[in-house]
Formats: sequence, C-alpha cells, structure tokens
Amino acid sequence: MSEDRVTLIRERLTTALDVHDLEIIDDSHLHAGHAGARAGGGHFRVAVVSPDFAGKTPIQRHRLVYQAVGDAIRPDCIHALNIKALTPEEVQDH
Amino acid sequence: MSDVLEQIKKQVEENPIILYMKGTPQFPQCGFSMRASQAVAACGKEFAYVNVLEDQEIREGIKQFGNWPTIPQLYVNGELVGGCDIILEMYQNGELEKLLDSTTA
Repeated sequence: MSEDRVTLIRERLTTALDVHDLEIIDDSHLHAGHAGARAGGGHFRVAVVSPDFAGKTPIQRHRLVYQAVGDAIRPDCIHALNIKALTPEEVQDH
Repeated sequence: MSDVLEQIKKQVEENPIILYMKGTPQFPQCGFSMRASQAVAACGKEFAYVNVLEDQEIREGIKQFGNWPTIPQLYVNGELVGGCDIILEMYQNGELEKLLDSTTA
C-alpha cells in the first residue's frame, strides 16, 4: 500500500513537471495512531528539483506539487505532504 | 458563493492574522498544526485561529477557499501565506515575523 503510493506520487510528479531529481520518503509510521492517520492516509516527504520552480514563490511551487499529485490527496490515501521544492540552481548553491 | 465560503471570507477579512488548524494552539491535534501555531506564536503578535475539527463545513470549505488541499493554512492580510512547510521556512529565515509585523492589528 505504502509503496504503491510512493509510486503514484512519483508518476504524477514526473508527468506534470520536468523533474531533475526526486526523493519521496514515507513518514507514515511517525504518525501512526494520531487522529489524522485513522482514515488510513499516509504522510510523505517529497523533495523535488525542477526548473519549473524558477521565479516562483514557495506558495506557487507548493501549488504545482499539489496540483500534480491531485486527487490522491484525500484522507484515505495521502493525508499530508511535506514539500521541498527547489530549482537545479538552488541545489547547487546549497 | 456558498455560505461557508462567505463565512471564511469574513473571518479572513476581519482578522489580519488567522490560522486554520486542527485543535487549538494550547491543544493542537496534529503535528503540522502544532508546529505551525508555535511558529506563528513565537513571532509575538496576537493571532486568531479556527479549530477546523469543530466545524466539518469549514474543514472542507477552507481547502476550496484557499485552493490548498491541506490544513494548517495561515492567512495574513486576507491572503494565503501557506501551510506548515512554508510557515516554518519563513519563520526560520525571519520573513514570517516581518510579514506579521506588517499587519495593523
């Protein structure tokens, strides 16, 4: 189930964005038992590197990621995404 | 616009700093809401909050209102600032305090 969701997030992001680098970590186990996790939705950490983020504010970048993942963000599938969205240039600066 | 969206619009307009969260700043019910409310509180400005767990219509309506699928959501001067990640990032680089200081409340 959890691996399916990682695959789903990966597929949707790479379809919607020009992804140079992508890391998806399933953090669901950290939240097991808390109220939001009861419906079965997972928590995932997503680090995306894409030139599509250039010139965009954090909120615009997060919107791109949310739009890409789309209707999978619902209580029984993906409860929360922790998003890090950088351009290739910003990664080099780090 | 539906009643609940009108209600949210009014809340956002009447409160220059308002956080939609799960639980309250004293008793947050989700780790993301907890971290977000702690960051906002740490800036030292008074802020309003709405516990979305107490109102199912607002809980769903705020996602539509902000065009943002998750909670928490912080609104400053009527505009969505972001969710937990953005709030924490802005808190860490000092932008959040500057933004909150710019409000007239």
